[in-house]
Amino acid sequence: MSQQLADRINEVLMGMVIEIKVPAERRIFLTVSADNLLDVIRKLRDDFGFYHLSTISGVDTVKNFEILYHFANSQCCITVRVVIHRENPEIISICELIPGAILYEREIQDLLGITVKNIPDPRPLLLPDDWPAGNCPLRKDWSYQAPEEKIPGEKK
Amino acid sequence: MKRIKIPVGPQHPALKEPISLRMTIEGEVIKDADIRLGYNHRGIEKLAESKTYIQNLYLTERICGICSHSHTTCFAQGVEALLGLEVPKRGLYLRTLVAELERIHSHLLWFGIAAHEAGFDSLFMYTWRDREVVMDILEIISGNRVHYAINTIGGVRRDLDNSQKGRILEGIEFLKKRTGYYTNLGTTEPTFVARTAGIGLLPKEKAISLCAVGPTLRASGVPSDVRKDDPYAAYSELPFDVCTADTCDVLARVVVRVKELIESYKMIEFIIKNLPSGDVKVKAPRRIKEGEVVSRYEAPRGENIHYIKSNGTDKPERLKVRAPTLGNYPATIEMLKNGYVADIPLIFAAIDPCICCAERFVEITDSRGYRNIITMNEIKRRYPSRHINKDYIWPL
Amino acid sequence: MAAVKTFLYLFVYPGILFLFVYSTFCEWFDRKLYARLQNRIGPAYTGFAGILQPVADFFKLLFKEDIIPEKADRTVFSVLPVVGLAIVITAGLCLPLWNYDLDRSSFNSFQGDIIVVLYLLGLPTLIFFLAGWHSTNFFSTIGGVRVLTMLFGYEVPLFLAVLSPAIVADSWRLAEISYFYQRFPFLLLFQVIGFFVAVIALQAKLERTPFDIPHAETEIVGGTFTEYSGKKLAFFRLMIDIEMVVGSGLIASVFMAGFSGGLIPGLVRFIVKTLFVIAVLSIIRAMCSRIRIDQMVNFSWKYLTPFAVLQLLISIFVKGIIQ
Repeated sequence: MSQQLADRINEVLMGMVIEIKVPAERRIFLTVSADNLLDVIRKLRDDFGFYHLSTISGVDTVKNFEILYHFANSQCCITVRVVIHRENPEIISICELIPGAILYEREIQDLLGITVKNIPDPRPLLLPDDWPAGNCPLRKDWSYQAPEEKIPGEKK
Repeated sequence: MKRIKIPVGPQHPALKEPISLRMTIEGEVIKDADIRLGYNHRGIEKLAESKTYIQNLYLTERICGICSHSHTTCFAQGVEALLGLEVPKRGLYLRTLVAELERIHSHLLWFGIAAHEAGFDSLFMYTWRDREVVMDILEIISGNRVHYAINTIGGVRRDLDNSQKGRILEGIEFLKKRTGYYTNLGTTEPTFVARTAGIGLLPKEKAISLCAVGPTLRASGVPSDVRKDDPYAAYSELPFDVCTADTCDVLARVVVRVKELIESYKMIEFIIKNLPSGDVKVKAPRRIKEGEVVSRYEAPRGENIHYIKSNGTDKPERLKVRAPTLGNYPATIEMLKNGYVADIPLIFAAIDPCICCAERFVEITDSRGYRNIITMNEIKRRYPSRHINKDYIWPL
Repeated sequence: MAAVKTFLYLFVYPGILFLFVYSTFCEWFDRKLYARLQNRIGPAYTGFAGILQPVADFFKLLFKEDIIPEKADRTVFSVLPVVGLAIVITAGLCLPLWNYDLDRSSFNSFQGDIIVVLYLLGLPTLIFFLAGWHSTNFFSTIGGVRVLTMLFGYEVPLFLAVLSPAIVADSWRLAEISYFYQRFPFLLLFQVIGFFVAVIALQAKLERTPFDIPHAETEIVGGTFTEYSGKKLAFFRLMIDIEMVVGSGLIASVFMAGFSGGLIPGLVRFIVKTLFVIAVLSIIRAMCSRIRIDQMVNFSWKYLTPFAVLQLLISIFVKGIIQ
């Protein structure tokens, strides 16, 4: 059943699909390019009823970043994968299509250091306001260094 | 009129955990709301990458204190799918049993909190006292009250015997009666209804477009429930209905949760009566070949989703957790706008916020006992446990 | 002799000492009853069944650190609790408990003392408003504004309800009203509506659930008292307790035929009758959830005031018949 849905999606999204997989019942993994992202999501939303964005996960694969948009409706859970370059990590905001995506996009921006273009509210979500720029905790090359503890009035 | 900004949180009596709601108000009317998170971010997702799968099971359990079972189940399900393990039926049934008990405990807790936020402390005390019954049942099953630690990769860690079954059924019988009383109270008590009806409106279209989840979504008339849409564990074999309400306000959220309580009682009785025999778990290998999986679970607060990516070692490459509360924040802002200051705690409580889920921090409770404090045993001696002593008459 | 009596009156019974002891007892009674209604145990350790708990709380607060906000007006901020306490104790002295003569008026019992008590009981509201306003805290300010908004709701029905028995008794003196109803107790049956209106209005005056809007903990933290701590908070709490005693004493003397019989029987009557009123207040508190400020004002003008007016009409009617 999920296989049929995957076939139909492949048909409707003519040429925009790079890869489509059905690893299990009610699970579809779809890879598209970053340029087609908005079109794909619009088609999925309007033609297949994937209104509900469960979450957005960002994965650091060392070579590049993968961003996964997990959509769900009552039949299936579909994951749209977008691969972006590590040198210039940029992705377009999907808030105009799915307004509920805002917090997830802010989270990605914070933790992976990916710039989300056209985001309605670019403030940090989880990290403190005085977090040093360029520190992206979920990147594989980032490790935490505890700042040296200073006690005021201590002997030098 | 002059607009002023009031900070609700990060420390505020209405909030049990730190989060900052910044309200712009005009007189008593909220004009704008903003939510700031991050007051206790623990970095569990980063930590998970350096721990083995079995360690991660206990780590995910500590994401939340109230829905601890939902996170472990979600994680264990995902890992089992990666391994291609077939969990024995009895294990799945027990997992579902604990999940439903947890839902009861969470909804009763929420009901008490909502009553407290509305200033109805009597109802708060009543529901929390009854919640002890379900906590005791969970203790009977798993040995723990909060972090049940019953899941393991490949099944559950403890089995159930007949005497335990009897005690569970007794407790459920008692809770059923009490829930009938609360349904009556919550929907007819004039001051409580005046506080909840028509408050925190979230129209159906908004609820869908803002990706609300769980009872918040169902209270806006959308019959979306992972247990029905994407059945996991034993849910495909259990008889239950998806509970919805269509008034889209706080009262609807109360109604949905009370209905879900009744559905949970039904399910638990079914599970106890139709518990399959056999093993409760299978052995799982430590290393997992490369792959990725999306695991969904209907926690008491809504859809809980874990994305797990493995890389062939015994540690995950990436674990992404999205707890239900985070999904409900955008909808909360919508609900708060144009409400009254007096409704802030109720509206916010109506999504059943579990900030530690959303932020993934650890809560530590100090349990030093002073000399003068009555011990639990003393209370039990003085006030006989009602579900054990059937003749005990509950003073109403 | 008269001077000693006056001294005793002011400082021992029913002055400061008695009001302190009895109001803490009433707080304990209220807390215990409220707890039992909620299926809890309530205070249990200090004294017999926790009877000394409110006293212990009071003294504990006295020794706590006292913080004054930087931007607050220091004088007003510090003076308000003391003034408030003085006002309610003064109101307490006007209750017809002891040391009054029905034929002659004295400093504590005179024509029009019912009005004086009502006005003295109205002043704490103003004190709460000023306390909230001078705390210069958003939560306190909102609480202060809510106090005043509520005042416009409950004050009119309270006055109307309390004055209608006075109309039937044809006197503005509490002692005479009580004496009148001691002679004609059946006339109290015509005051039942007024009694309930007065009790509900008193509940609002004391800011207890469902009318605890000005210091709604889950909405605006401590409301008016957010910035108060230590001694000042202790005085405020004592003030509310004494206000509860005086308010229920007023209702008891107007609607329940007062406290006749001299020192000891009068004291017993006072305790029984005020505890009855406080029990009614506690039961209302346990039964309701907090309502919103607009709902409260609606409620008092839509239901409470019409009932108070109805009571007034009944009183005038009864008055016409008995003449």
